[in-house]
Amino acid sequence: MSGIVGRIVVVGGGSAGWLAAGVIAAGHRSADAGRVQVTVVESPEVRTIGVGEGTWPSMRDTLRRIGVSETDFIRACDASFKQGSKFVGWVSGRDDDQYFHPFALPQGYTEADLVAQWQAGHADVPFAELVSYQPHLCRLGRAPKQIATPEFAAVANYAYHLDAGKFGEFLRAHCTARLGVRHVLDHVTGIVARDDGDIDALETREHGRIAGDLFIDCTGFASLLLGRHYDVPFVHRKDVLFNDSALAVQVPYSDERSPIASQTIGTAQECGWIWDIGLPTRRGVGYVYSSAHATDEQAEQALRRYVERSAGAPAAAAISPRKLGFSPGHRAKFWHRNCVAVGIAAGFIEPLEASALALIELSAAMISDQLPATRGEMDIVARRFNESFAYRWERIVDFLKLHYVLTGRRDSEYWRDNCGPATIPERLRELLSYWRHHPPSRYDLPRVDEIFPSASYQYVLYGMGFRPAASVTARLSGDAERAEGLFRESAALTQRLLAGLPENRVLLEQIGQHGMQRI
Amino acid sequence: MAKHVLLNNVEHKDLRVITRRSAQFGDDVMCALTFPAEFRGVQAHYPIFFRKAADSGQFQPFAMFGLRDQENLFLDDQGWDATYVPMTIERQPFLIGFQPGAAGAGAERQMVVHVDLDSPRISRTEGERVFLEYGGISDYLGRINSILRAIHQGIASTPAFVAALLEYELLESFALDVRLNDGTEHRVAGFYTINEERLGALDGGRLEALNRDGHLLPIFMVIASLSNIRALIERKNRRLRR
Repeated sequence: MSGIVGRIVVVGGGSAGWLAAGVIAAGHRSADAGRVQVTVVESPEVRTIGVGEGTWPSMRDTLRRIGVSETDFIRACDASFKQGSKFVGWVSGRDDDQYFHPFALPQGYTEADLVAQWQAGHADVPFAELVSYQPHLCRLGRAPKQIATPEFAAVANYAYHLDAGKFGEFLRAHCTARLGVRHVLDHVTGIVARDDGDIDALETREHGRIAGDLFIDCTGFASLLLGRHYDVPFVHRKDVLFNDSALAVQVPYSDERSPIASQTIGTAQECGWIWDIGLPTRRGVGYVYSSAHATDEQAEQALRRYVERSAGAPAAAAISPRKLGFSPGHRAKFWHRNCVAVGIAAGFIEPLEASALALIELSAAMISDQLPATRGEMDIVARRFNESFAYRWERIVDFLKLHYVLTGRRDSEYWRDNCGPATIPERLRELLSYWRHHPPSRYDLPRVDEIFPSASYQYVLYGMGFRPAASVTARLSGDAERAEGLFRESAALTQRLLAGLPENRVLLEQIGQHGMQRI
Repeated sequence: MAKHVLLNNVEHKDLRVITRRSAQFGDDVMCALTFPAEFRGVQAHYPIFFRKAADSGQFQPFAMFGLRDQENLFLDDQGWDATYVPMTIERQPFLIGFQPGAAGAGAERQMVVHVDLDSPRISRTEGERVFLEYGGISDYLGRINSILRAIHQGIASTPAFVAALLEYELLESFALDVRLNDGTEHRVAGFYTINEERLGALDGGRLEALNRDGHLLPIFMVIASLSNIRALIERKNRRLRR
């Protein structure tokens, strides 16, 4: 027992297991040839969660980092392009109630006080549409790049929608064929502990003991290692974010030329919200709701009505919803001794901003970048990891709650309860009060690697109808003119992009036929 | 608007084509599609660059005549100032079409010649005769046939050549920053060229493979063509002086 950390054992497949394995294996290939060996132990009996279809733009970097071709990924995972989210019905529930949260930063962000000039000169225009080209691209179903744009390069900042099951399989193939990851298809029957409390090995049905130096718990809700074996407590956040159930379905398009949406759609309902994700071959739709406010039957009725409105009565009648129950929240710590949890094993929250895959990427990157060379160093890295992700989970909860607290809806207890003062985190309440006179900025989110940048808070805050109080101090001279210039720049850029960008389906067909260039 | 019709010696027996080169006939283009087999002729006068086709993103080789859209620095009121004119320019107003083979399904498609009747080069009175008095093919049309066949084969051979360049990572994107004598600066972007360093680092096995597949010669023709960039800029400067 030299204390050298070389054997990385990932427990569980799926997106979490294979992304973690891939990022670590790709990060330690040439420098440490032979020292770092990544093994994924995947149970043939346990199914992956099967949803989790939205990513953030960081996924482009993650895929490139592990050596994946974007063309291969798009073809194999039934992927489409995601440019942000559109939230429908969250403010008033009326027909015209919608706002965008795009990935692109506002034009000239930080060069001028855009918010003040928006209020002074264009108060009737939705904020996101004034400061960014992206909502306009989304409204017209345009793609964020052209067939001539190199792999992973963007014309408009973008992420992906993908088939979760196919994604896991694609990553598995890439990891085992190209990254030297060992795949053990077997069921874990027990955990062998060392005297000091570390995990020594896994007991498996067919392969006996699988020893390791660092164990990565990607076992999902079971949280076999961190939760079950180490009994790390779970921090419940249902007091802030009520949703604890989901009903997921897949909905076919009415014909194979139907437009593919450029963004995720989140439509508020009486007791939750419905996600709608457009892949090339079908849509992924699901109702996320609070079991304290709605029964499964009520939720299913609402889901059918939604599907009927967008896909017709026969499609609505044909859906067979899959029910998922979950506890919104996360572990009190994520890295304990020589075991770190990634993915649902670490925590789960409603997919309102598709944070799950992004957290997996961030976790895998930190483990790989900071991989301790010896067991002695590991506790230092573990402490950093826990601190970093505890902070991130707090910010995720704050940011998701922001989508609820400003609602004008009072049509159900669910919405009324969501505005209850006891359900609002202290830090969010303080920020909301501060934002009456200052737009969200980097001062509110001081870390280098914030999970949501201040621009995202602006998009949601103002999209939800929040309006700052009139300014009590004089603004910097020339600032209004600068802001106006930026609004014009955004409008001009919008026209140029609309002239050059194809519709999503056109681009995806071109990619299917020709592939994308690497350069 | 183009009007492509199948060329035949009945309807078109009196057709003539004006062959002199002029902006009046649409020769004021910045570049023209070329192909590996033509590189040796093209490289004598014109830089050869690659661009991505807008509808497919696939790389295509071009002979460059100017530094911006619709600028042909070889064209003046005397005609085209070079001894070699790329075939995709020379072939105009003719183009290749295909007809199903006479024996029906399974038979090879036949290559046939089409002409664009809307081309300003078409005339009844001046230029080269297309057909002879009794319906035979003129020398001019015979030459056009050869050119069209060469273009067709050349374009068909391009994907394999490009694939080899991409496999050995020989293509790189390229921006030409030009400073003209009148002080203006100008960037030509969106083009790709062959990376000489990576070419020079290729091992024997790869060089042999490229040579065996007939790609080595065109690669060096592309490299040789780049020395025409300076001459192109000189042409531009001469124009500015006038």
